[in-house]
Amino acid sequence: MDRRAFIGLVAASLPPVALAHHGWSGYEADHGFTLTGTIVDVSYEYPHATIHVKGPDRTWLCVLAPPYRMDTRGVARDALKPGMTVTIEGFPHRNDRAEMRAERITFGGKTVELR
Amino acid sequence: MTPAESISQAVRGHPWLYPAAEVVHLWGILLVAGPALLFDLRVLNANRTVPIAQLAKQLLPWTGLGLLIAVPAGLVLFAADALALLGNPAFRVKFLLLSLAAANAVAFHLGPARAALAPGITRAPGIARLQCGVSLLLWLAIVASGRMIAYV
Repeated sequence: MDRRAFIGLVAASLPPVALAHHGWSGYEADHGFTLTGTIVDVSYEYPHATIHVKGPDRTWLCVLAPPYRMDTRGVARDALKPGMTVTIEGFPHRNDRAEMRAERITFGGKTVELR
Repeated sequence: MTPAESISQAVRGHPWLYPAAEVVHLWGILLVAGPALLFDLRVLNANRTVPIAQLAKQLLPWTGLGLLIAVPAGLVLFAADALALLGNPAFRVKFLLLSLAAANAVAFHLGPARAALAPGITRAPGIARLQCGVSLLLWLAIVASGRMIAYV
């Protein structure tokens, strides 16, 4: 067995732990969609700001950008509030059917690129 | 909230602590991996006009300073997202490789280092070259797997 296979095997044999959020390649880049809904809550925290958005079918966890980038792109800490209507373009997570990675967000007539 | 949760929350909510810790973590890695790579390359016969023992004495203490910088900064980053990191395959591989690199370094300094670092030695024995080659590959892989944490 080569070393890489061995390392992969050892890494895979470690006990699984619940994921709080996912890496960049975990989203279906070929299944982009647009979600419009109402903000339920806002977390302006590192490594990524997140919002829950109540959409037509379910409440989505939307992974936005790091707070510092949000701020410099024009989404200040207090710009997003529960109850606001937002439109988010992004990609669904492969395994977690209620999580999406946001590419851009539209709120109050303003669209902000998050990538 | 437990003390661990309070620390996590403080890092997550701070306006710049997290990106600052990322930068400091990288500075620390420079100081650990840079001297380690140069020493490994020397044992593998690069820069052979410099005696190995002399290079070891001048380069390797910097790795200790590097660890004093990289480890605390890494703990800050870990605190922000501990559960996700423990489940992250790249994070697990990184720490597996780190422990291999540490074991390899200890084994080197307990064994072949005596011969390789004797005064005036300019060509290290085969086992020393093997271990330094492994060390070099491990450090490249550690940095790569660390970077991959954000993508897997």
